[in-house]
Formats: sequence, C-alpha cells, structure tokens
Amino acid sequence: MESIIEVKSLAKLFSNQAALENVSFSVKKGETFGFLGPSGSGKTTTIKILTAQLVPTDGEAYVFGVPTSKLKNPEMRKKIGVLTDNSGLYARLSVFDNLKLYCDLYDVPYSRIDEVLEMVNMAGERKKVISKLSRGMLQRVTLARAFLHKPELLFLDEPTSALDPVNTRHIYRGLERLKEEGTTIFLTTHDMNEAEELCDRVAFLNKGKIQLLDSPLALRRKFADHTVTVELSGGEKEVIDMGPAGAKALHEYMSENKVTSIYSNEPTLGDIFVEVTGRKLS
Amino acid sequence: MTFSMKRLLAIFNKDYKDLTRNLYVSFTLLVPLVLAAVFGRQGIDSIDLYYMVFNMALCLVAAYIQCSLIAEEKEKNTLRGLMLSPASTMEILVGKGLLSFVTTILVIGISAYFLGYMPENLLIVSLGIILSTVFYIALGTALGLVTRSVMEASVIIMPFVFIFSFGTSLSVLAEKYPILQAADYLPNSQLIMIAKEVEMGTGLAELWSHFGIIGLWVIGMALITMVIYRKRMVD
Ligand SMILES: Nc1ncnc2c1ncn2[C@@H]1O[C@H](COP(=O)(O)OP(=O)(O)OP(=O)(O)O)[C@@H](O)[C@H]1O
Ligand SMILES: [Mg+2]
Repeated sequence: MESIIEVKSLAKLFSNQAALENVSFSVKKGETFGFLGPSGSGKTTTIKILTAQLVPTDGEAYVFGVPTSKLKNPEMRKKIGVLTDNSGLYARLSVFDNLKLYCDLYDVPYSRIDEVLEMVNMAGERKKVISKLSRGMLQRVTLARAFLHKPELLFLDEPTSALDPVNTRHIYRGLERLKEEGTTIFLTTHDMNEAEELCDRVAFLNKGKIQLLDSPLALRRKFADHTVTVELSGGEKEVIDMGPAGAKALHEYMSENKVTSIYSNEPTLGDIFVEVTGRKLS
Repeated sequence: MTFSMKRLLAIFNKDYKDLTRNLYVSFTLLVPLVLAAVFGRQGIDSIDLYYMVFNMALCLVAAYIQCSLIAEEKEKNTLRGLMLSPASTMEILVGKGLLSFVTTILVIGISAYFLGYMPENLLIVSLGIILSTVFYIALGTALGLVTRSVMEASVIIMPFVFIFSFGTSLSVLAEKYPILQAADYLPNSQLIMIAKEVEMGTGLAELWSHFGIIGLWVIGMALITMVIYRKRMVD
C-alpha cells in the first residue's frame, strides 16, 4: 500500500539537546497513526518537521513522496491539514470570519463552514467572537479549521486535550467520518484510551525515541500474560492461567456457582507503556 | 512562485475587518486627522505645516500600521496558520501592504481636505505622495519582520516618526552643523520640495531629481526588506 508519510532515521537537536533520535516509521494511506508519549517526548517536534515548520538536524522525511523541504507549494498545502498547540485564531473576528478567510485561502466554498462547525459541535456558535470562546471551544474551532479544506492528510497534535467527554466523543465521531472518507490521520496524544479508540497503529515515543510500534491489538496480545482474574462469591480474587489447568479450576468454580465476575488481565496501552519505558504517560 | 489575487484580497479583507475592531492601532489613524482638523480651523496656510501632518500620516499609518499588522500575526501565532495554508509570505505581506496603502491615502486625502490644501498640480503631488507611501510601507514591513509584538512595534516606530516627521526642521540647524544638510535628502524633505516647486508652477520634467531621490529610498528600503525577509522568514 502507498506510503503517505515516510520517515527515515530522523533526528532533531535543540542546542545540542536531542528532541528526536533515530526515528523511523511510515504511515499508509487511509491509516490513523498515533504517536503516544509523555510531555516533552518529541511529539510536537515530529509534527513540526513533517509540516515543514522545523528543519530536521539529520535523517529524511517525506510526505506524499516529497521531501518536507519542498512542501511549500500551494498544491501540497491543500492536501495537508494541521492542528498544533500554537495555531492561533484571530481574536477580534467571529468564528465564521476566521473560517471564511481559510475558505478563501484554500479555495473552498463557504457552505463548508457549517459542515465543519457541525462536526465539532459548534454549529450554534458561528457568530461568536473568538476572544469570547472557552478553551475547549477554541480547540474545536481550530480543529474545524484544520479539516476545512478536506485534506488528504491531517496532523492533529493532542486534538482533545482541552475537551470534556461529551465533546471528545463528538470529535471522535467526526474523525471516524473523515477516516471513512479516506483521510490519513497522524495523531499525537498522551491519552492511551484515545490512541486505542482511534488508531490503527501506534508508536510509543519516549525521550525522542520510538520504543514500540504496532497495532493496539497486536501490542495487547504481545504483552498479555494469558491469565484471567476470577472473583468468587466470598469476595476473594484468584488469578487463573488460561491453560488446561486454569480451565479445570474455572469449571469447578462455575459448577459450584461460586463465580461472581471474571476480569481480563489484558494490559492497556498505558500498562504496556509503563512496562516498556518505565515511565507514566501523563 | 505562484501569486493569487484571491488569496491576497482574502488577507486584505481579514486585516481590514480586524483593524476596524482594533482600537489600539486604529487610534493612531486619528492623530494626523485631529492635527489636520485643528490646523484647518485656525486657517493656517503653510506647505511646511501641511506636510508635517502628511509625513506624520505616512509614519503613523503607512509604516506603523503595516508594522503592527505583521507583528501582531507573530505575537498571536496566527502567522503559523497562514504559512501552513497555500498563502505565500509575499501574498500575506502585499495583502497587508495594500490595506496600509489604501488607509494612508484616505487619511492624507481627508487631512488635506481639513487643512484646505489644494495643490496647483494634483497629479504631481499625488505621484509624490504615492511613491512616499510605498517607501513607508516597505519601512513598516521591514520593522514588522524584526518585531515580535505590537508593543515592540509601537516603540521601534518612534525614532522613525522623529526623523521622518520632524527631520525637515533639522535643516534649519544646518548652518551650524553642516552634517545636518543630509536631512535635505530624506524622503520627507524631498516630498516637501516637490510640493513647494509645484506651487511655483514647476512641471514634472524639472522635478525628476526629487522623484529620483525618493525612488532611490524606495529601492533601498525594498532591498533591506528583502534581506530581512530572507533572514527571518526562511528558517
Ligand atoms: N523551539 C525549541 N527550542 C528548544 N527546545 C525545544 C523547542 N521545541 C521543543 N523543544 C524541546 O524538545 C523536546 C520535545 O518537545 P515537544 O514539544 O516535541 O514535546 P511533546 O511531546 O510535544 O510534549 P507535550 O506533550 O508537552 O506537548 C522538549 O524537551 C522541548 O523542551
Ligand atoms: Mg506537544
């Protein structure tokens, strides 16, 4: 399958401090790819390099087969959407006027504005002035602006970090819709549930290095310890191996009607992250 | 390099709307207008005075507005979004420059009306003012590229207001300090010379040296702006 992003041994130094070291990965067309890592691990730096806002110290990065240094032409810009923590909106203008500017810049009809506002649950707020919006609302407008022009590739830097659960859900549904339309999404987050829910594959980033890269399911399988925890009617819990011996024990408990609950011991992405890096995610 | 008029006008429209809601910056538009109204009421009839107002308008409107429009985009991080869009830096700067230009010409026109200034030859004077406006916009662009906030822009513009608005009075002291004769070659001094000659009936053909000097200032400033642009914007 076609690679939309191709990164080879990428490194970035900030005054001799490595923010990224030997990072390599590729993102396929239509895939949602997650960069999972704690604060300062280099997630934003990676997005900035891939969108030509920063020049890498070493290594190669290609987007749509084009080196990032050549991304400046308008046709390439139209294929890419970006949401980063530093993308500002015009505070004195309304939500609508902010998006209208970008419709003109990207050659998109104004009818698209209501469509994207609907996707981020802001349809009723189009006339509001930006300076009067809450942090979560700002993030949603910025997000709407990022996919206003239906980009083929969307970079999202912690898209739900300022949102409540209801709006987070709403955004997830919007992103699923974009995915169905074939959008490739590169997403960073330190929320493992978000990565698990949205991403086809995730890379664990720690101190500028990729430590693991696979689909959430494959990772959970790989790190599974093949046990279940059984809660018995007396309140005691027992960890049972998922082999023949465990089956026998479980069968016994069940025949005696002693089982109140069974928990899977499959690790979450967060557990795996801690196991691999020895660090907590947030 | 591609250049899109649609994108340029989009930037112009956005900045226009933003400027009308920016009290801090649009307040500076009022300074030359109020001065013009006050002088006009007193019925003062002096080219030097008229052009003090016009030169002030050139500094405070053409240069300062252009400078703060650029500085604010950097301060509020909105420039990032523009740079990531199909808009080129050239479209962004020219779109802003167009707004600064239109505003300057309007302010000078209204000031002239308040002052009761009717030049003998409107065409020649207009040419001089338009050429000067281009110079001040280039100056504002250069300053906007080096400043990071509207506050900084307001401070950095001060010495230029001093030199270019009041610089003409320096030549009065030139007898004592010959070095100050150089002030005659400032674009504002040249503009006043053009205006004075026009009142005496001099035609365009005899004024080319003044236009030439202002033209050199425009070219020089444009080059400086280009160099700063290359250094600052291409990282
Ligand atoms: N412009 C810069 N100059 C110097 N150091 C920088 C710069 N940008 C980032 N860094 C450093 O690079 C490292 C990675 O930063 P980055 O912003 O990529 O982290 P992140 O994973 O996005 O973190 P967060 O989750 O907090 O957003 C940090 O140590 C940071 O201090
Ligand atoms: Mg970040």
